[in-house]
Order: sequence, then C-alpha cells, then structure tokens
Amino acid sequence: MPPVLEFEGLSKQYNRIGNRGVTALDNFSLSVEGGEVFGFLGPNGAGKTTAIHLAMGFMRPTQGGGRMLGKPFGDSKTRRRVGFLAENVALYHRPAEQLVGFYGALNGLSGSGLKRSVTEALRAVGLLGESRRNVSKFSRGMLQRVGLAQAMVNDPELLILDEPTSALDPLARVAVRELLLQFRDAGKTVFLSSHLLSEVEAVCDRVAVLNRGRLVRVGKTSDLLESGQETEIVARGVRPESFTGARAMNGSIRFSVPACSQRGALEKVWNLGGEIVSVNPLRRSLEQIFLELTAPRKGAGTGSGA
Amino acid sequence: MSHIVLIAINFVREQRWPILVLMLWIVVLSVLGLFIESRVAREDVLFIFKQGAVYGVVFAVFFGGSAIHNERKTRRILAVLSKSVGRGEYVSGLLAGIALSTGIYWFSMGVTATWILGGEGLPVPQLWGIILCLAVASMLSATVAVLFSTILNPLFATMATFVALVVPGVLALRFGSSWTNVVPAFSLISTLMGASLDAPLSIPWSLMLLGITEAICFWLGAWWIFSKRDIAVAVD
Repeated sequence: MPPVLEFEGLSKQYNRIGNRGVTALDNFSLSVEGGEVFGFLGPNGAGKTTAIHLAMGFMRPTQGGGRMLGKPFGDSKTRRRVGFLAENVALYHRPAEQLVGFYGALNGLSGSGLKRSVTEALRAVGLLGESRRNVSKFSRGMLQRVGLAQAMVNDPELLILDEPTSALDPLARVAVRELLLQFRDAGKTVFLSSHLLSEVEAVCDRVAVLNRGRLVRVGKTSDLLESGQETEIVARGVRPESFTGARAMNGSIRFSVPACSQRGALEKVWNLGGEIVSVNPLRRSLEQIFLELTAPRKGAGTGSGA
Repeated sequence: MSHIVLIAINFVREQRWPILVLMLWIVVLSVLGLFIESRVAREDVLFIFKQGAVYGVVFAVFFGGSAIHNERKTRRILAVLSKSVGRGEYVSGLLAGIALSTGIYWFSMGVTATWILGGEGLPVPQLWGIILCLAVASMLSATVAVLFSTILNPLFATMATFVALVVPGVLALRFGSSWTNVVPAFSLISTLMGASLDAPLSIPWSLMLLGITEAICFWLGAWWIFSKRDIAVAVD
C-alpha cells in the first residue's frame, strides 16, 4: 500500500528582504502509512507547521516535493479527502451549524448529506447543543472543537491536525483522544502535530521528531520509549550496598544497569545468593526522549535520523 | 462553479456592513426623490447621483484591495483553501463577491435614478447605459485592485490601483486621448461625469467591451500570481 503522506527531500527557505534566508525545512523526508496515528514533534520553529502547510499546498517548496493520498502536494481535488485543522484556528463569525456547513459545501457536500455530516461532526466534538450559537461567542476551547468539526465534516481519509488540543481542558482532551482512536480504528490516518507529549505518547502509533528543519528521529512510539540503553533489575536476598545506585524497597532492592552490563549484574546477584524478581527494559517518557533529541548542541547542527 | 458561488456569497456576508454604508447613498437619493421637487433641483439630484456613482467605484477598489490580505492576515484563508478549492476558484470567488456587492448597488442605483431622473429629461435606456458603464468601470477597477492585492497590502494595493486607473487619464492630457483607453475605467466614469439632463449622451459600447476584456485579463493575471504565492507566511 503506498504511503498516505510522503515528504520527499523537501526544503523550504523563507526569503526576507535585507536578511539572509531562513531555512525552515532542510531535505526533509518522511512517510506516513495508512491507518496510523502519526505524531509529529519538534520545538517551536522546528518546521512542523511549514511541513504541514507544504503538504496542504499553502506554500511551494524551495526544493523537493511530496505526495498526499497518491497525488502531488497542492492538488485541490485530493483535499476533498483530507481534513485539516490549523494552529490558532481562525473561522468566520456565524452559527456553528452554518459555519461547518459552509466548509462541508466547499468540499462538495450538499443537501441532506451535508446536513447529516454537519450534525455528526458537531456531535462528535460535543457541540451539537451549541450548533445555533455564533462561534464569535465561543471560548477558545470551543473554537478549537468547532475547528475540528470543520476538519471532519467531509469524513476524510487523512486528518492533519496542527496542535488540535492546545486550548482544550483535560476532559475535552480525552474526548478528542478517543475521537482520534476511533478514527484510526475506522482505517483512517491521523497526522498529529502537538507539543503535548503525553497526548502523543497516549495516542500515536509512530512519531517523528523534527529539529531545526531536519528529521532527527522517526519510529514506533513503543520502540522509542523502550529504546533506552538501561535495564531495571529487582532482586531479593542481596544488600543494596553491593550495587551502585540500588534502593531497598519492601525487602527487595531495585537498581538499573546499562543493557550491556545486564548479564554481569544478574550473575552478581546469583553469586551473592540473591534471587531475581524482575528484569525490565527501562521505559523513558517521550518528554525525556524529546529533550535529548532537541537539546541545543555545540558545534555542528543536528544530524538526519531515519 | 459552486465553490465560486459559495466564496462570493461568503464575501458579501463578510462585507455586509460596508455594503450597507454604500447603500446609504441609495437612501439619500430616494429621500431626495421623495421630498425635493426634482423639477426644481434636478441638476442637484444628478450631482448626488454622480457622487454616489463614484463612491461605488471607490468601494469596489477598497473591496478588491483588501480582500486577499484580510483573509491571509486573519488566517481564515487556510480553512477555506484546505478544502477542495483551487487558487483560481478562490480569486474568482472574491471577484464574483465584489461583482455581487457592487451589482446590488448599481441595480438599486439604477432603479432609484430611473424613478427620480427618468422623468426629468434623462432617457431611461441612456440611464441604464450609464449604469452599465459604471458597473464595468467598477469591475475593471476591482480586478486591478485584486491583482495588486495578491502581492501588496491593502494600502499599497489601493494606492497602486488608483495610480493605474488615473495615470492613463494624466497621460491623455499630455499625449492624446487614446491613452485613456489603456485602462478605460477613468473614461467610463467620465461618461457619467459629462452627463447632463439637457444634452443627449452617447454610450461608449466599444469602451465597455474593452473594459470587460481588460477585466478578464487582470482577473487571469491575479489568478496566475495568486497560484504562485505562499499564503501561509506572515503578511506584514
């Protein structure tokens, strides 16, 4: 199956009069497969939004290209099968129902089909009861939800979301998370750019980390979280002083060792007459990984990952 | 086509307050028709009609000069162009919206003027010919403004449009009247400015045809430029 979203050696340089050009993306390549929730991470200014805008055809790349649902970026007909929510959502001031209807009509929906789609989209984001209220009176969180509704009104195959939960309260955030998982379960694809790492960790099958316009890591979320080079060992019948950094807990000790030293540590426990309770690869949070990958480095810039 | 209609209607909806302000001139003209003995003050009424007509063209320039920039600045353009809307359809939709807005105005102006001035020496077919001239002038001006608005902010786009519309008139004074036809908006408006209730007026049909042709060229130019522009970058 061809990738749903494919960036191929994409570069984008912003030219400013009187200044040197700013490179927002540098030879960026990435493939997003169908049916996955893909997390797109990076610090501010990493180039995430630029990559998304290039995919949507809002901008033209300086170099390279890409394909969305098998068609080159910028193909207007393809966008009928795509839902998009921009960062800092900006919408026309009118009743939510009419607003979502307008965007649905722009995607070719009409008549009873449009009405049904609008109702379903507003129900999905929990705004059906507010459908006749003007969005100018909505809170920021409600605006973000109505933005999500306009992105989903055409029942898209690919949903591209730029910071979709940044203004939502925890309850609404959980609701959106469930919505995205339902979307994936229906065989659709979500491309999610977010700063909320816990959110990404909870919902994404794969993640890519972008830093200074370059891809520094891509992989399965579970693999990334377990990619630590350390193993945690819990043992009984040995003294904590025998192992560096070991802590005594409820009659057992707990310590971590580099993965390459795991065998030696286990043998030491047995030689001291102890008993192994558990051996687990140490999981790191996505936040730790993110900070490692995006921390400023001395000297040369970041290298390209996958 | 449906995209263009939707964007046009949306434009009219978003510009409803400026359109209402513009329609105040129709109200002024109607009030004059109701309360003033037009037989006595008919030249004054004609003057107000001329003034309202110029405002119609000026509003068309303002609509065109700010249309794209405002949408980019508020970032509302992103949600629209994230749908299956092409850049050309978007520009066409905006121009159709301006045509609809000014069309409502010109039609109302025509009806009111027919009522007030029709019986005062200005033949009705001639009057509607003038209205048609003004509609073409306003659309030509709007397409020039939209063309400039694809690359300039509203202030500069509007200024550039006025320069483009007025310069042919200035050149005509120095080099001959054929220069007024380069961008014939000025000449088309002059048709009304020269109108009098006592003298017959010839409607410049060939100039109107030229105006329509040029408007189509400017529209295609705006389409081409806008399709090459990055729309998601900071506009200021």
